[in-house]
Amino acid sequence: MASEAPLAPTTRVDTSALDKKPRARETIIQALLFIAGAISILTTVGIVYVLVSQAWLFFSDQQVNIVEFFTGTTWQPRIGRFGVWPLLSATLMITTIAMFVALPAGLGTAIYLSEYAAPRTRARLKPILEILAGIPTVVYGFFALTFMTPLLQSIFGPQVQVFNTLSAGIVVGILIIPMVGSMSEDALQAVPDSLRQAAYGIGATKLETSLRIVVPAAISGIAAAVVVAISRAIGETMVVTIAAGSGPNFTLNPFEAAETLTGHIARISGGDLSYDSVDYNSIFALGLLLFVITLILNMISRRIVARFREVYE
Amino acid sequence: MKKLTVLLVALLAILLVACGSDEPETVEVPVEIGGGANSEADTAADDETDLGVTESMDEMPMVDPLNVTGDIIEAGSSTVFPLAEAIAERFIDEGYSGNITIDSIGSGAGFSRFCEAGETDIANASRPIRDSEVESCQAIDRDPIEFRVGTDALAVVVSSDNDFVDDVTFAELQAIFSTAENWSDVRSEWPDEPIQLYIPGTDSGTFDYFVEEVFEEDPEPMLSADPQMSEDDNVLVQGVSASPYAIGFFGYAYYQENQDILQALSIEGVEPSAESVDNNTYPLARPLFIYSDCSVMNDKPQVNDYINYFLTNVNEVINEVGYFPASDDALNQARDSWLNCNN
Repeated sequence: MASEAPLAPTTRVDTSALDKKPRARETIIQALLFIAGAISILTTVGIVYVLVSQAWLFFSDQQVNIVEFFTGTTWQPRIGRFGVWPLLSATLMITTIAMFVALPAGLGTAIYLSEYAAPRTRARLKPILEILAGIPTVVYGFFALTFMTPLLQSIFGPQVQVFNTLSAGIVVGILIIPMVGSMSEDALQAVPDSLRQAAYGIGATKLETSLRIVVPAAISGIAAAVVVAISRAIGETMVVTIAAGSGPNFTLNPFEAAETLTGHIARISGGDLSYDSVDYNSIFALGLLLFVITLILNMISRRIVARFREVYE
Repeated sequence: MKKLTVLLVALLAILLVACGSDEPETVEVPVEIGGGANSEADTAADDETDLGVTESMDEMPMVDPLNVTGDIIEAGSSTVFPLAEAIAERFIDEGYSGNITIDSIGSGAGFSRFCEAGETDIANASRPIRDSEVESCQAIDRDPIEFRVGTDALAVVVSSDNDFVDDVTFAELQAIFSTAENWSDVRSEWPDEPIQLYIPGTDSGTFDYFVEEVFEEDPEPMLSADPQMSEDDNVLVQGVSASPYAIGFFGYAYYQENQDILQALSIEGVEPSAESVDNNTYPLARPLFIYSDCSVMNDKPQVNDYINYFLTNVNEVINEVGYFPASDDALNQARDSWLNCNN
C-alpha cells in the first residue's frame, strides 16, 4: 500500500493522441478492468450496508443502551449486559503485545535485508520471510496453545492460564513480522542509493547510515507498514479464538484468559444462536466497531504517508 | 443460524455414515435375521453374549426403515432434541422416506402440543409428565405412554492435578460458580488461588440445566463471574485439565472420555456413576423421555415403527450425543410398553 503510492504521480503520460480511434479490444479490456475494480468496491459497500443495518437493529433494541455499550465493563448478552470494554480491552492488549514483538523484529529484519545482507542472501531470505506470511493462522493458533503457553508457564509458573492473552499476543506478533518486515524493507529499498553514498562520503559508518539516514528517509513507508500491521493484529481471529480464551473478561493481566472482539464474533456465530435475536445482532455491532477502528487506522496511515513522505528525484 | 447448523450436522452425519458404512452393516445383519425370523439359534446366541439382559429386545420386531412411509411430528425438550435428531438421521439414512419434524421447544411446550392441541405424535421430555398434563391428555382421549430413552447427567470436573477438592455441597457449588473469587473463599482450608471457571456456552442446554438446578434459573450470578465459555467441550476439557485451580462442568459422557486427565466431583457426597444416576441419588442427572400414545401409534404405523427403531438403536448413538444410556431395566420397561401397545 505504502510502496506503490510514491510512483503514482510521476507515471501519468498524456495519452490523448492515442485515443483517437477507439479499438474494440481496448474497450473490452477497459470494461473488464473496471468490473474487477468495481467488484471490490461493491463488496465493501455491501459489507458496510449489512454491518450498519444489522448494527442499527442492535442499537435500537430496548435492552441496549449505547452509552452502556461504549462504557460498560461487562459483556454478557444472555443477561442483557452489553458493555464492549472487556472485548475491546482484550483486543487492544493483544495488539499492543503483538506490536512489541513485531516492531523490533520486523524492523530489524527489514534493516538487515535492505542494508546489510549480500544480494544473494537477500534473494534467499526474502522469499522465506514471505512464506512465513503464508502459514495458515490456525497453525499459529495451535502453536500458541501447545508451544507458547507451556513455555510461558514454565517461565512464569502456574499463574499463566491455559488460555491467555500474552501467548496469543506474542504469536500474533510473530504472525505479522513478515508484514512489517517486508513492507518496511520495500520502503528502505526505495531510498535512493545516492543518499547512502553521500553518507559514506562524509565518513558515516554503515550503522549510522542505516539508522540516521536511510530509516528516517523511509519513515513514511515504515509507519504505514506499522499501521497496516496494527490493523492486521486487531482483525486477527483464528489465533485469538484458539489461544486467548473464550469468555469476555475485563482484565489487564496478560496471564489471564480474555476474549477479543474477533474471537467473540467467531465463537458466538458458531453457536446455536437464533437469527434476529439481540445476541445475533450484537455481533454486527462488534463487526462495525472493528470496521471503524480499521478504517480510522487506514486513514491515519494515509495521512502519515502524505505528511512525512520524502520525495527524492 | 440454527438451520445452517442442522444442515451442517446432517452433512457431517452423511459423511460419517458414508465413511463408516462397513461398520453398522456388519452389526445389523445378524440382528435382522435373529429379530425377524425369531430363530431359536440366534436368540440363544444373543442370550449368551448379552447374558440375557436384552430379553425383551429380542421380542421387538425389526424395523426396516425402507418400508416406513408417512410423516412423523415430534416436539419437546431441547435436551432430547439432539438425541432424537441423531436417531431420525439414522432412520432417514436407512431408507425412511417420509418427513420427520422435530421441534426443540422445551418439555412443557412439547406436552402442551401433544396433550392439549394433540397435533404432535411424540412429545420429547427431560422430566416425567406431570399429573395435570396427563389429565389434559386424557381430555382429548390420549393416554400418554412413557418411554425412557436415556439420562442427561452433568459432571462437575476438576483437573486430575487438583488434590484438594473431591466433594462439594450444593451451596459450595453455587459459591464456586458465582461469587467466590478464590478457592479459600469457599472453604478456608482450600488454597488461596483464583478459581478459573470453564462452562458450556449460553446457547447450550447444558448451561440452562446447570443454571436451573444450581441457580434456580437465574443465569446472572454465574455469568457475572466472567467464566470462560465454549460450545466445544474439548476447549473446556483443555481449560480444566490444564490447571489445578480450574473447575467446569459438562455432560458426563464427555468426562468419561477424559477420565485420565479429569476427576468428577461428588455432590452432597454422591459420586456420579451409572448407579447413582440410575437410582436418582446424583443430583445433577435427569431422565430423558419420549412420550406417545397407543392409539396414535396404532393409527400411524410410522410412529410405531419409529419408536421401535428409537428404542432399539438409542444406545448406539447416545454416547455420541453426549448422554448417559438408560439402565437396561428402564429400557426394557420402555420396550415392554411398546409391546403392550402392539398387542
